[in-house]
Amino acid sequence: MFWLTWRQHRVQILVTGGLLLALGVLMLVSALRATAYLAEYAPPGCPGPAVSCSAVNQVVYTDHYRPVFLVFGLLPIFGAALIGVFWGAPLLAAEFERGTNALAWTQAVPIRRWLTVKLGMLGALVAGAALALSAMVGAWRNIFSGVTGDVTMEPGNFTITGIVPAAWWLFAFAVGAAAGTVTRRTLAAMAVTVAVICLALPVVFSSRPSYAEPVRVVTADRSSVARGGGALVRESWVDPSGRELTAPPPPPCPLPAGVDTRSDRAQLLGEECLVGSGYRYAVYYHPVDRFWRFQLTETAILLTGALAFGALAVVRTLRHRG
Amino acid sequence: MNALETTGLGMRHRRTWALRDCSVAVPAGRVAALVGPNGAGKTTLLRLAVGLLTPTTGQVRIFGRPARESGERTAFVAQNKPLYTGFRVSEMLRFGRGLNPRWDDAAARRRLTELGIPLDRRIGRLSGGQRTQVALTVALAKRPDLLMLDEPLADLDPLARDDVARGLMGAVAETGLTVLLSSHVVSELEGVCDWLVVVNGGRVQVSGDIDELMARHSLLTGPAETADALAARLPVVSRSGAGRQATLLVRDDAPPPDPRWSARPVTLEEMVLAYLRTPDAAALPRPALSPAH
Repeated sequence: MFWLTWRQHRVQILVTGGLLLALGVLMLVSALRATAYLAEYAPPGCPGPAVSCSAVNQVVYTDHYRPVFLVFGLLPIFGAALIGVFWGAPLLAAEFERGTNALAWTQAVPIRRWLTVKLGMLGALVAGAALALSAMVGAWRNIFSGVTGDVTMEPGNFTITGIVPAAWWLFAFAVGAAAGTVTRRTLAAMAVTVAVICLALPVVFSSRPSYAEPVRVVTADRSSVARGGGALVRESWVDPSGRELTAPPPPPCPLPAGVDTRSDRAQLLGEECLVGSGYRYAVYYHPVDRFWRFQLTETAILLTGALAFGALAVVRTLRHRG
Repeated sequence: MNALETTGLGMRHRRTWALRDCSVAVPAGRVAALVGPNGAGKTTLLRLAVGLLTPTTGQVRIFGRPARESGERTAFVAQNKPLYTGFRVSEMLRFGRGLNPRWDDAAARRRLTELGIPLDRRIGRLSGGQRTQVALTVALAKRPDLLMLDEPLADLDPLARDDVARGLMGAVAETGLTVLLSSHVVSELEGVCDWLVVVNGGRVQVSGDIDELMARHSLLTGPAETADALAARLPVVSRSGAGRQATLLVRDDAPPPDPRWSARPVTLEEMVLAYLRTPDAAALPRPALSPAH
């Protein structure tokens, strides 16, 4: 069975491995070049949050960090979709489509064992690949931690860090396998898989802020919160008596002559005026120390989904194997 | 002991019954032909027997055990001879070895070598006859006690058909396994099979030992004007004729009571066609008994 699983899915396994290797080389080269650049040009104490570092931070961010981040910034979405489409969807759909279900499931090995080995072995490989990717990204991002600060709670980074990637990939794999038992055609199963993942992504992403009650901070300088690296949920104004307002209050000071009321400058001056008059910002956010709590919550949600779809695939295969 | 035994077996696809109230037995050691027109329920019966389908009613027993617990004792070659087209022939053998504890690798290799099928050839590049032979080899190397084949000889040229039939017969002679093969071409079964099951319109019409069935049927020819009187006294399966001559195929082996009529034995094809033309007629022994009468 193990040989059969390898033989039937070796293309996916090798291509995925090759892509991971390519990404690893890309990140390794990027990390080495950024390290060399910092060693040569960074002033003492840099990179870091100090003002004197901002020039070198800027260069490293635009020349070394951002180009690579753009490459794998899409992976949270594309990686899961690719796993669902190429690992999950053909797993059962191809057997039905080519009629080889009548071959595979009439051997002495019972169909339950066939399903256990295939789903188990491929699932383990999918999870392993996702964890390898997340570990590589983590190691690469460590090089830039002084430049970017802690960005792990940012939506794009959160999805590709820690254990959440493995949960997403397993979810996509299970969706693909289940779709194959419904459509019994590989191409149709691939399309259904993409559709389900496209629906699941915004649902999970938009529910992420509600994994916990956000922290509320009342401050005159809202960028202080952003510098801490947390995930912003929402903000509103607090009037001088401490009451939170649902709508922004009208600025009490008149605008200087010649400033258009619709311009950014008018906006900025209005906010400065409000802060000067005793108004404050109430910022709701999730601090970075909630990273693991959020990772575990999202992983639990996605693994529950993966188990549900996996169970659907198994039950449908056992019921309609012919 | 019956290799295959079904009782009240029925299979419904949505509203239509693909197979209905099917009670049939194939004794061990037989080479049984499952005959019927296209869409008669042959494939459904076979797929129920290997456990690929779940029956709506009734049950299937393979050597007394439920079909889904008999994966080790049965082998199945489906109609399109499914094999993994990207595999090499040797990889198909490795597939069989990995999934079957009773696998006989030496026999499989010997068989393919004798047939001149290269082990390193990809399945997708084999001819239709070679592909059938590889599928049959994988099925036989499992060393099954009951081998089921769905239209094994269809879409083969006459030479390949003869090769496959002979390969099958050789294996039966060697191992004494029970075979159930479906076909809609009756002529290709003569000399191969010794047990007959006719399904038509989802029901079993005929089931029994071929020699006995043929001995119990005869073809009567005589004047057309007396045909009705004779037909009233004998179990007629089908009747035909042109002009003043009438022909009756009857389930009776006694000489005709009317001296103006002559009798001769039926051929397998005549008998099967007579039943298929008359879906209401049936020749069924009670299931699970040793050959009736």
